[in-house]
Amino acid sequence: MTDSLLVNTSPHLHKKESVKRIMWLVTLSLVPCGLAGIFIFGLGALWIIVLAILAAVITEFVLQAATRRRITVFDGSAVLTGLLLAYNLPADVPFWLPVVGAIVSIAIGKQVFGGLGQNIFNPALVGRVFLMASWPKYMTTFVRPLSYDAVTSATPLAALTEGKALEGISYLDLFLGNRPGCIGEVCILALLIGAAFLLLSKYISWHIPLSYIFTVGLLSYVFGAKTLFAGDWFSHILSGGLILGAFFMATDYVTSPLTYKGQFVFGIGCGIITVVIRLWGGYPEGVSYAILIMNAATPIIDRYTRPRIYGS
Amino acid sequence: MEITRIISIAISMVFINNFILSKFLGLCPFLGVSRRTQAALSMGIAVIFVMVFSSLLTSLVYVFVLVPLGIVYLRTIFFILIIAAFVQLIEMVIRKKSPALYKALGIYLPLITTNCAVLGVTILNINEFFVPGIPVYAGILYSIIQAFFGGIGFCVALLLMSGIRERLEFTDTPISMKGIPVAFIVASIMSLAFMGFSGFKF
Amino acid sequence: MKSLIKEFSKGITVLNPTFGLILGLCPTLAISTSLFNAIGMGVAATFVLVFSNLIISALRNFIPARIRLPSYIVIIATFVTICELGLKAYLPGLSKSLGIFIPLIVVNCIIMARAEAFASSNRILPSIFDGLGMGIGFTLGISIIAFIRELLGSGSIAGIGLLKSNEFILVMILSPGALLTMGLLIALSRLLGLTKR
Repeated sequence: MTDSLLVNTSPHLHKKESVKRIMWLVTLSLVPCGLAGIFIFGLGALWIIVLAILAAVITEFVLQAATRRRITVFDGSAVLTGLLLAYNLPADVPFWLPVVGAIVSIAIGKQVFGGLGQNIFNPALVGRVFLMASWPKYMTTFVRPLSYDAVTSATPLAALTEGKALEGISYLDLFLGNRPGCIGEVCILALLIGAAFLLLSKYISWHIPLSYIFTVGLLSYVFGAKTLFAGDWFSHILSGGLILGAFFMATDYVTSPLTYKGQFVFGIGCGIITVVIRLWGGYPEGVSYAILIMNAATPIIDRYTRPRIYGS
Repeated sequence: MEITRIISIAISMVFINNFILSKFLGLCPFLGVSRRTQAALSMGIAVIFVMVFSSLLTSLVYVFVLVPLGIVYLRTIFFILIIAAFVQLIEMVIRKKSPALYKALGIYLPLITTNCAVLGVTILNINEFFVPGIPVYAGILYSIIQAFFGGIGFCVALLLMSGIRERLEFTDTPISMKGIPVAFIVASIMSLAFMGFSGFKF
Repeated sequence: MKSLIKEFSKGITVLNPTFGLILGLCPTLAISTSLFNAIGMGVAATFVLVFSNLIISALRNFIPARIRLPSYIVIIATFVTICELGLKAYLPGLSKSLGIFIPLIVVNCIIMARAEAFASSNRILPSIFDGLGMGIGFTLGISIIAFIRELLGSGSIAGIGLLKSNEFILVMILSPGALLTMGLLIALSRLLGLTKR
């Protein structure tokens, strides 16, 4: 009886959500594609994942201790950053590369701004482009799938960039991940399982991924071949890091716009930049650069898509 | 006079060789005027305007005065005086004609004289486009295009930075990083991201 | 004599152009890819600073206040042109690697700031010492950044390779590395209390 007479201020409805829970659930949703990556590229991939996560967690701990802040290494965000960084690396990079990348991700991408929730850019991508600019040789040497040796091979995107048709790689291969590439990006099936989980449980909204992937498909269909309207748009969607980036990195709460309108602008912007870099840029893949550039634009997008205050 | 060359200059000036993030020209206003979005936009527009007209004036003076008289070595002195005089003139004209515009842009105009991006673009124009093999009229045209897109690139970087810095004011940034240092880190990451366009071939 | 030492030393310590005043950033970041270039840039800027301070201080009673800024610009631009032609004649290699940043000394905020804030209201000797101190402070700042970037980015000091390897952090000699080094160094100098925030 006493409970029904309890008087307190609103809110009265509580949901058992916390940053910690969301971080660990996103990490969980990324497990299938990691397992697929390890199966496709061998145990070396597992070591890279473990090293990146360990380095990220330790860096976070050291920096938080040094600046006398609350230690929050178990909220899962550092683990998630390390995991995403590892998924964006080829499988046979030297062991120190994921470590350096994770230190840069956490230190420069996150703690410099004051930690979780304050960062402007996606930390894992900051680490990745740092590595890309510093050691391009390691970052663009890929292992052939299911051969478990360091035979290097060109990615499907490299062929697509030159406007050629893919040889020897079917859509099914692309979908299951039987192609050279980064650890976490290859198995589209596993990525979609994780993404479906996040979408159905409403941890991410469909606005950014859909507008991003649709823009890439449309633009690569129009401009992707020697003549207009003849591009292999389906391969463009399935190759590179697009699915991983669109569902798991572009949707990061902190670094993407707040309103649905802003999220459409964000997704379309990412799509345009990705296709421009893929088709005409010097690098074969543009997903990480596109997301980072749109991260930088997020405060401006938020500013101009702010909902009208009622009555003004 | 090819259209592809113009597109290449545009992409290159806005992203790859961005005046602020890659060539390090105009860093002082980039840090000084990027605290508020509105101010950044005004400054950016003023810079585009001054850059385009300074490029036109300096290239005309170079072609029709400095080269015929054989005093090319005096170009630095001539160019900075042309820019300073032009900025002064603009300031006086808009103060008389449009007080509203003067209120919006006025205080940024004197700052532009010592913006190294403006003097920088006029010197780069001469070095890149007034060389044997490019006809003089094309050189003048390329100069204006380069100045216009250089200004756009400056404006884009300034605008993005101002949005980010407005947001950073509300964050719990470590005390020694607050303000200028964290602005440099943001600029560094933006510069890394813009590197994605390098090697652009159209 | 004591005040001369003070004018000289303030540019190196409290009012250090690079880390304290945060002025003259463009050449500081662009030229600091190698220690050799950085010192060259520093010496060139010091030369212009000292002589423009000298002339402006000597003429301070003759320049009408209304046209003082254009006059300063002409005086500074003259010394920059002397410097530009001198480098081209005697050190063509350095002149080439400093490139556009030699003529851009004209709009270097440090020089204009010292002309306006110091030389225009002080006697000749203190002005020279002020210019010298500021110039050396600038040279020191740009050299520290160049030392770090060159060491991490290409594993050498002033062009002398230390290790036979190519596992260096390439990004440090590219533009993002310059901005990163600058940001972290300013934070460090604040942390150590060398400069005020």
